[in-house]
Amino acid sequence: MAQVITITSGKGGVGKTTTTANLATSLAMQGQRVVAIDADIGLRNLDVVMGLENRIVYDLVDVVEGRCRTRQALIKDKRFPDNLFLLPAAQTRDKDAVTPDDMIALCNELRREFDFILIDSPAGIEGGFKNAIAPADHILIVTTPEMSAVRDADRIVGLVEAYEKSNPKLIINRIKARMVARGDMMDTPDVVEILAIDLIGIVPDDESIVVSTNRGEVAVLDRDSMAGKAYNNIANRLLGHDIPFLVLDEKQGLWAQLVSMFRTRR
Amino acid sequence: MRDMEERITLKGSRDGLRLILHPTAAWEEVLEALRKQLAQGSSFYHGAKLLIDVGERSITDVELQAILAIMAEHDIEPAALITIAPTNRTTGRQAGVETRHPDSLRSTPPPVVQGEGLFLWRTVRSGQAIKHQGHVVVVGDVNAGAEISAHGSIIIWGRLRGSVHAGVGGNQQAIVCALELSPTLLRIADNLARTPDNHRPTGPEQASLDGDNIVVVPWDAPRR
Ligand SMILES: Nc1ncnc2c1ncn2[C@@H]1O[C@H](COP(=O)(O)OP(=O)(O)O)[C@@H](O)[C@H]1O
Ligand SMILES: [Mg+2]
Repeated sequence: MAQVITITSGKGGVGKTTTTANLATSLAMQGQRVVAIDADIGLRNLDVVMGLENRIVYDLVDVVEGRCRTRQALIKDKRFPDNLFLLPAAQTRDKDAVTPDDMIALCNELRREFDFILIDSPAGIEGGFKNAIAPADHILIVTTPEMSAVRDADRIVGLVEAYEKSNPKLIINRIKARMVARGDMMDTPDVVEILAIDLIGIVPDDESIVVSTNRGEVAVLDRDSMAGKAYNNIANRLLGHDIPFLVLDEKQGLWAQLVSMFRTRR
Repeated sequence: MRDMEERITLKGSRDGLRLILHPTAAWEEVLEALRKQLAQGSSFYHGAKLLIDVGERSITDVELQAILAIMAEHDIEPAALITIAPTNRTTGRQAGVETRHPDSLRSTPPPVVQGEGLFLWRTVRSGQAIKHQGHVVVVGDVNAGAEISAHGSIIIWGRLRGSVHAGVGGNQQAIVCALELSPTLLRIADNLARTPDNHRPTGPEQASLDGDNIVVVPWDAPRR
């Protein structure tokens, strides 16, 4: 039985799609059967990030409205043809085409065949957010270490609680170690302190993300990518492994293992 | 030399403004302290009614008249003479002032609030608004972007960074306290304050009203 994990955020553009693509690929690399669903209707781009854009025939709305069978709409990832699939979003701007109940029914159908169902959500203030979190067993909230993004993330944690989903986990993306060292960027403990939820990953700001995204590749497939390494660690934590957090040491220019885990109460 | 202010104490109580005379200080010093105190806040006391609390001290007609005269200069009327000395009752009656036993006063003046207290054991987050007719107690942080308003007091066992309004409806006795008091906006009754940009709380603090000013003091000792 699959776990349904929804990746969401308060602010847009903080890295939800990047996170979804990398976690899905990383889990597939480890032999898990994974389907990534793009629930960001009207702003679809998970297909682009995964390099599957030109293989789309059917989309999420086609499935929900019964124009095709679920199987037909799933796009195989050529690198992991047996165990990584994408269900793309519709490009139509009609956000009401899908309801939370549709998403729950769809996920229940997919649960039997997969180990992980990852849902790329729209930002929390947008319509469609409800659809994305309705079927979720677990919720990952992505933020960058900027005050405005953290403030919006705080709002989303509140919304998630209001929808009676418990224990969302936090991913802090695009950390610039040099800026943190200078005191110009919020540090991880600052963000965790405000949001008061468990941290599941920290991802550095990494130029290789831009390069890989443009090529339709994902960072976790690039051995030299620091962000890829960070995403692999998060995937391992999702698999239940106890992986220490990385810490970026700008002076040495490499990542060292951090001994302590950041944990918050409750 | 002792501070003049110790000779008399003026404080708000549920029954009104209460003037407490030092039980043993020399009479002249008591009068002097009263003159000074009333002169300082003269417009504030204007038109007020004072409970004159003489405690165990027994006072003569002349002494009572002296106090009343100073009060009259500032347009302050006596509400009652609070005393436990039976002789003072006659003194009061002769001056036309009602006398009351201290036990008839409610010593701790809790704010006038309706309803039960609201207890929240969680983080109050951006975008969430809590409104309550009584007191509100939060065990957890109140984040920036969150709002709490209460007819009574607001107690935060955590960091207060959102906006709070205590004493909604004009309750001047309401207080706000937090382990880290740095609200975006703080209101008590009809008064408003912002956390100064350079404010770095070093410990728990309590905000309350002093006249029309919101004053913040360390929250380290019982003060009511
Ligand atoms: N860790 C990172 N380092 C550098 N760039 C990143 C990182 N994560 C995301 N980006 C870039 O930020 C932009 C927004 O990311 P995206 O995943 O599309 O955000 P969202 O889905 O939340 O809108 C993209 O251009 C992406 O390449
Ligand atoms: Mg996206």
